[in-house]
Amino acid sequence: MRLTLRALISHGRVARKMGLGPESRINLLRNLLTGLVRHERIETGKARADEVRFYAEKLIDYAKKGDTDEKAMKLADFWLTEKDLIPKLFKVLAVRFENQTGGYTNMARLPNRENLDRAAMAVLEYKGNPFPPLYPVKRVSELNLVNQLLKGYREEKAQMATEKKDS
Amino acid sequence: MAACTRRTREMMGLLGILRNLPHNERFLSTSVMRHASDGPKFTPPTKPVFTDKAQEEASVRRVLSPEFIPPRQRTDQIKFYIERKDMIQRRKVFKIPEFYVGSILAVTMTDPHASGNLNRFVGICTQRSGKGLGATFILRNVIDGQGVEICYELYSPRMRKIEVLKLEKRLDDNLMYLRDALPEYSTFDFDMQPVHYELTKDAPVNPLKVKMKPKPWSKRWERPKFDIKGIRFDLYLTPEQMEHAQKWGQPWREYDMLKEYDTSSLEKKIFEEVEENLRK
Repeated sequence: MRLTLRALISHGRVARKMGLGPESRINLLRNLLTGLVRHERIETGKARADEVRFYAEKLIDYAKKGDTDEKAMKLADFWLTEKDLIPKLFKVLAVRFENQTGGYTNMARLPNRENLDRAAMAVLEYKGNPFPPLYPVKRVSELNLVNQLLKGYREEKAQMATEKKDS
Repeated sequence: MAACTRRTREMMGLLGILRNLPHNERFLSTSVMRHASDGPKFTPPTKPVFTDKAQEEASVRRVLSPEFIPPRQRTDQIKFYIERKDMIQRRKVFKIPEFYVGSILAVTMTDPHASGNLNRFVGICTQRSGKGLGATFILRNVIDGQGVEICYELYSPRMRKIEVLKLEKRLDDNLMYLRDALPEYSTFDFDMQPVHYELTKDAPVNPLKVKMKPKPWSKRWERPKFDIKGIRFDLYLTPEQMEHAQKWGQPWREYDMLKEYDTSSLEKKIFEEVEENLRK
């Protein structure tokens, strides 16, 4: 007999259910986080990327406290399964985000996976990574004909406005 | 004749008393006797002690009550702000002392059915819950062999007086296990006298480890989710049973950053705000 409504109503629950249970969820996120710290850009399911995002940013916040801080070191030791990444976290990533308070990650959606499940995919990266940007930077070339004509039009308008002011 | 002698005898008695009264300049009637008997030396009266009230107040340690700290929610902060204003207004009229779980309190409440309309209860505070104006605390006592727990609301207008008879902290935040402990740990005398405590120091922690009634208990207190340090488990559970209970422990929980709620900066801001408004 269901005695409590707690299990059924999920108002205010922030943690998604993933894997086989809470321990499995943490293990999944731990592997994802280790991969993210190693490669600085990973592709996973959308829900997993969203969950890892929170933990990734919190890990950087703790790493900023320095490797002398006991709690920061314990957390880094727990979350990074590959131990050669712990110095990278403290010496590279924490230093990179020294002057920022939040927003260390970028997340973008990808086309659905080609498999039968057509799962929604997303890419998660730490800002300042060495790869080409996720959203290509649009550069407007000034050497097009249309842009040259528009430039001339703007210059003429500015000239007429100054002549009107002088007179 | 007889009345005359009685009166003279009374007068003689009075004179004798007056002669033996302390020679004080204040007693003008007896100062007449002063020059007569110059025995004990004149002792000046004790000087009144001036205590600097401002310094005393400053040295008294002020602690923020836990019901001021808002929970982790999506509600607008203005709700907590308005509630805090009401709480401060109530606190200006009715003094709510600082107390912790494990302190012994005496609460006087209005009760239409009690003689004198007041109802006094003494007990140990087993838990403090609720935030804002609905903050409550539960007092436990054993009366005539029957355990009684009463839940009082701190900001209820029925509260008349809250006195702290003994201020102390225990090893846990929640003393619900006293229900399964031996009754001697929950009995407190109604006429208990308040124990003096230093206002400037932190509340003392009572490292008492409680003895329990035989198992089964109302809850499996040995399980890590309760995280109880104040029970003597070694008398009732074998090491195998303790290890078996650890199976329910979730070792990843302390590393789960999602479950953390850091209130230190919030607490500081609220503390300053509350202090400022209480002084007004």
